[in-house]
Amino acid sequence: MSIEVRNLSKQFGDFAALRDITLEVKSGELLALLGPSGSGKTTLLRVIAGLEAADAGQVLFQGEDATDQHVRDRHVGFVFQHYALFRNMTIFENVAFGLRVRPKKFRPADVEIRRRVQELLKLVQLDWLADRYPHQLSGGQRQRIALARALAVEPKVLLLDEPFGALDARVRKELRSWLRRLHDDMHITSVFVTHDQEEALEVADRIVVMNEGRIEQIGTPDEVYERPASPFVYEFLGKVNLFHGRLHRGRAWIGGIEVDAPEHTEAEELAAVAYVRPHDIHVDKVANALNGEGAIAAHVSHILSVGPVVRLGLTRDDSEDKELIEVEISKARFRELQLTRGNQVFIKPSRLDLFPAQIH
Amino acid sequence: MYTFKQHSVLPGFNLALGFTLLYLSLIVLIPLSAAFVRTAALTWPEFWNAVTTPRVIASYRLTFGASFAAALVNAVFGLLVAWVLVRYRFPGKKLVDALVDLPFALPTAVAGIALTALYAGNGWVGQYFEPLGIKIAFTPIGVFVALTFIGLPFVVRTVQPVLEDIESELEEAAATLGANRLQTFLRVIFPTLLPALMTGFALAFARAIGEYGSVIFIAGNMPMVSEITPLLIITKLEQYDYAGATALAVVMLVISFVMLLIINLLQWWSRRRSALA
Repeated sequence: MSIEVRNLSKQFGDFAALRDITLEVKSGELLALLGPSGSGKTTLLRVIAGLEAADAGQVLFQGEDATDQHVRDRHVGFVFQHYALFRNMTIFENVAFGLRVRPKKFRPADVEIRRRVQELLKLVQLDWLADRYPHQLSGGQRQRIALARALAVEPKVLLLDEPFGALDARVRKELRSWLRRLHDDMHITSVFVTHDQEEALEVADRIVVMNEGRIEQIGTPDEVYERPASPFVYEFLGKVNLFHGRLHRGRAWIGGIEVDAPEHTEAEELAAVAYVRPHDIHVDKVANALNGEGAIAAHVSHILSVGPVVRLGLTRDDSEDKELIEVEISKARFRELQLTRGNQVFIKPSRLDLFPAQIH
Repeated sequence: MYTFKQHSVLPGFNLALGFTLLYLSLIVLIPLSAAFVRTAALTWPEFWNAVTTPRVIASYRLTFGASFAAALVNAVFGLLVAWVLVRYRFPGKKLVDALVDLPFALPTAVAGIALTALYAGNGWVGQYFEPLGIKIAFTPIGVFVALTFIGLPFVVRTVQPVLEDIESELEEAAATLGANRLQTFLRVIFPTLLPALMTGFALAFARAIGEYGSVIFIAGNMPMVSEITPLLIITKLEQYDYAGATALAVVMLVISFVMLLIINLLQWWSRRRSALA
């Protein structure tokens, strides 16, 4: 079932949690709401679920207005960050809860409830825990039970609020790929909130990057990572180096390098910032090896060579700016260059995105 | 060899346990055993006669019956008060919160006099019941009213922190699963509160059984009707019948102890089910 959100706004006192949010979640899609804390992502999810009422705007399920529908009637499955399992009930009763509270004429027979719960417990691979109580389970197990409980009522959409936020790194990784597989099997329209960019990039079909109550960018993981629409998205998704320079009539000068900037032809003597990913930087020991054009001179100030990728921290020679430039090169390239700390190197961005400098 | 001692980062298990036992002995066990020793001055038939006269039996009935009813009422309304204090914001909330403790702090005699003045046939409240043929002061109903008054803080103060601890997420989870408000309360919130509620009930009940000061003013103390057991004990003491007084004390002690034990067992059972670990 598709979800549509139109012009949602929500205010908590003086704090604007959502500002005119419009968004469409396609049927069967797994969508991530990604952003720092306070960006409004959880509020948006709660408004979709009906746990929070928006000040303005609409929520539509499959084209039908659900804005004024009560949570109970929206048929959404909701998974909380801290599981919210009922501690006075066994795991079995937790999962059965949604079926047991149905009005009598819609309530399945006891045998049917038992069958369905067992099936769900098998799906989350925890059927052997049916008689335990929530406090006897690990965090990862609890979250899987919370998911089974949400699925028991056969929701039309599944909403997950930082579902792996309270778990340790290894369990989180495991559950992440498990959720992805589960979604591929069930094709239930799902939205999950996360502040972990890696999680969003790995699991989601599409990512909505949010900041200060607004949507910064919507796109596939590739799109948002490769072509960030704003400096915020650049900085939030992955590591990035900033080079200051200026823009003038479609050309840009960044620390001795001149590049084309076709999307900025109107710019007149504008301060600009170039965003460059660490792996989009060429490094060499001799300046003219980099196509003869101007390169930036720098010194190697530290080296992290664990794993297949070597990370270099460089300080520029031509500026007082002590901020490190982070560069990632392959191990093979690293051996070829025979770099050690203190070496002089020349760098040149192989790909960069220019944004007019923000005035603070 | 099996040992009770458990390893802990904090030392002093032996010392602490020893002190606890000594303290409990001095404060609780020795005075209580004195009651038993005193009673032993009576022969068995004398004892039995002293504790089973019709007047005494009537007083047991009143003391335990009214205490139980008062604790029950307090369990229901104390829960309500705790609920309001935890869940809602309203002006003067802090004041109301402080008011709850007043029955703790007030000298019981003051409470007794105040309640009697209110509920007497010509009092502020009593005058409206008088025409209906309901007398409150100087009847068992008065006893019940006084015991309800002094027991309220126990339930409120035990339930309040547990209620504060219940995450709103639990209710939200229930709602997303399709439960209505009543179902959410009965199936999710109430079972979580039950152990605390029972503790509060037990405390209010125990306090009511032992209450003396506030009751004797409002009860009227008519033999067979509105006379509580603690008053009978005092009466016997005033007649220098120490053995008779302690005999009654022993009976009250045993009954109270058994009741509290039962409540504690129930509590242990429900706590285990709700698994608050």
